[in-house]
Amino acid sequence: MSPRSSFLRLVGIVARRDYVRTVKRRGFIVGTLVLPLGLVALFGLSAVLAPSSSSGLTAGDSQIVIVNDSAIDLAPAAAAPVIQLVVRHAADEALENGSIDEFYVIPATWPGSAEVHRVEESGSFSLDAAQRHEIQDGILAAALRTGLLSGTGISADTLVRINTPASVTTVTVSGSAVSDAAMAASVLLPFGFTLLFVMSIFITSGYLLQSVTEEKENRVVEILLSSVPSLPLMAGKILGLGAAGLTQVAIWIGASVLFIPIIGGQVGGLGDLNLSPMVLLLGFVYFVLGYLAYGAIFTAIGALAPGNREAQQYSGFFGFVAVIPIIFSSVFLTDIDSPLVWALVLVPLTAPASMLMVVTIAPDLPVGMIVSSLLSLTLFVAVATIASARVFRATLLLYGVRPSLRKIVDAMLARDQVARN
Amino acid sequence: MSSTAGVAAQTVTPAVSTVVVSGIWKRFGTTDVVRDLSFEVQRGELLGFLGPNGAGKTTTMRKILDIIRPDRGSNSVFGGLPGVEHQQRVGYLPEDRGLYRDVPILDTLTYFGALRGMSTSASRNRARQLLEEVGLGDAMTKKGAELSRGMHQKAQLIATIMNEPDLLIVDEPFQGLDPVNAELLKGVLIAQRDRGAAVVMSTHDMGDAQTLCDRILLINAGQRVLFGTVPEVRQAFSDGAVEVVGRDVPTDPGLLRSVSDVSEHDGSVRFLLRDGATASDLFRELAATSASVERFSVDSPDLGEIFIRAVDGDPRTASVA
Repeated sequence: MSPRSSFLRLVGIVARRDYVRTVKRRGFIVGTLVLPLGLVALFGLSAVLAPSSSSGLTAGDSQIVIVNDSAIDLAPAAAAPVIQLVVRHAADEALENGSIDEFYVIPATWPGSAEVHRVEESGSFSLDAAQRHEIQDGILAAALRTGLLSGTGISADTLVRINTPASVTTVTVSGSAVSDAAMAASVLLPFGFTLLFVMSIFITSGYLLQSVTEEKENRVVEILLSSVPSLPLMAGKILGLGAAGLTQVAIWIGASVLFIPIIGGQVGGLGDLNLSPMVLLLGFVYFVLGYLAYGAIFTAIGALAPGNREAQQYSGFFGFVAVIPIIFSSVFLTDIDSPLVWALVLVPLTAPASMLMVVTIAPDLPVGMIVSSLLSLTLFVAVATIASARVFRATLLLYGVRPSLRKIVDAMLARDQVARN
Repeated sequence: MSSTAGVAAQTVTPAVSTVVVSGIWKRFGTTDVVRDLSFEVQRGELLGFLGPNGAGKTTTMRKILDIIRPDRGSNSVFGGLPGVEHQQRVGYLPEDRGLYRDVPILDTLTYFGALRGMSTSASRNRARQLLEEVGLGDAMTKKGAELSRGMHQKAQLIATIMNEPDLLIVDEPFQGLDPVNAELLKGVLIAQRDRGAAVVMSTHDMGDAQTLCDRILLINAGQRVLFGTVPEVRQAFSDGAVEVVGRDVPTDPGLLRSVSDVSEHDGSVRFLLRDGATASDLFRELAATSASVERFSVDSPDLGEIFIRAVDGDPRTASVA
């Protein structure tokens, strides 16, 4: 067997074994199913809540009881189904027996005075601000306006327009309607996906870190190195565990593609999210490059660290670096061409998350930005992988020893070659 | 056997030497861990690799395995440079060894066998067979964390011989084993040697080295101190004394011309020979007396004593270095 085919065979064995072992882990299965199960739960919840949420404030919910002591006739307003005009003692009785929680009294001084009373039993009844606003500034105010104007000869249609002078609808330049939920989704979903994306890269790179430190701590690594040179061992791990991470992400994306439109139909707007093939393709490319970049660093950390705990500490720093784009997410929303955004997409370790936000936020795909970031990231991946392979083979057999910075630098620059392949 | 002799042997019969190490050096930091080390290992030979802690044994073994690259010198395996193409013919049991804690040993061994070039099914069958042979048939599905130390050792040795290697390198293979399991695993190693594999065994147990090894290589501070068969090495360190057990053995040095001094100890008589005299001379002289000899043996120190003397710089090391 030629050295090349031996190399590929060993890479394949290590990759297959690490993949199978990882996807069979309980932690992986639970982590993979969290998102689909969450979406199913959201779907169920939205289905249950759909009837009440679709109609907004119901008559039953916002029925208001009015006692009119003023000289103005509010009878025309009482035609509205949510208004009930009663006499005072009937209102008191209803309040006492609990059939209502409150009622409004329009005093005899109205409209000379704007003062209106709201009566409740103990002073502890409360509604949320939106409901209170809807009742007092919406329904009650409209009823009083209708009462005031009903005797002036204004037509019923004009009365309706006075009470509801404008109903604003948002549309795109092409004329299609944009719902409030869709607008919220367009702002929140890129961040949600970016967070998920960064988590995926980190979880997958974490598998790599865990695998290397585990084999070092278990003292299996020297047996492996006697069978597999360091380079195919590292390459096999990166491939196998990267495939495991991609499996997880594919399941998440599949669940998103399947459930988001269904849930979107229930809650409105969410279904308008555009998971275009190009965005998905770019997401895949940035995921792979991001994983390779962090994977190279984490492999070196796994080989360098005396134990798993130290490895976790060292890798934690890079977790902060990866989420920097999310911290500056408002800049992406307000000025996608700002110098800060450009800096974040050109720095290799922040590029994956930054570019995912860019491609989901920007109305048109920014080709220049995409090409620049891909070049920067690819170059970094190449350099980091070579340096990491050198550190990996130079330090993997240092049990319980923390190599000096000089030794690490020497290893990265191949000044301290200790092993072949 | 000198290093020159080793190189000469390589030149004459290159196919016989499974491993040839020629003048290798390795420096870590400011320390030369291995210095100008040369030796060879033949097919069907069990070489004992001896030396104090930190002498450079593990570094040398890693170099043979191509885990570490020498700074100077060269080493060949199966007549070529060490590399991935040879790793399928090699078995290695490192001193720092373990198994996957959360994986059944059958799966772990199958994986190790596959890395050594076996098909998955062949590797699994072979692992199953070897586990049965060493009494671990009931523990195949146990995970690494569930095994006792002895079971660990057995499983690790199985991992080393899964692929029936032509070169077997084992670092302290019997460390921590009870006598029963140690004997079992010694039998496994001997069987590998008898099958034709070259075996390099690092050990601190001089008893094992003396009884198991065909040749020994003692290194100290990275340098070769002793290299030869066990009888050769013991002979080199012998002070010429002969131990005799029997009845009416003469104890007056004046009666025996080949003897310069006589001492008695625990029923045996120890004769120190004069310069130029041999054990055969003494044997003939005793035969001419009325002595009834039950045992006649050339008194040479055991390997433990030789180890200490050699490391302390005994000049006699030169004759077998």
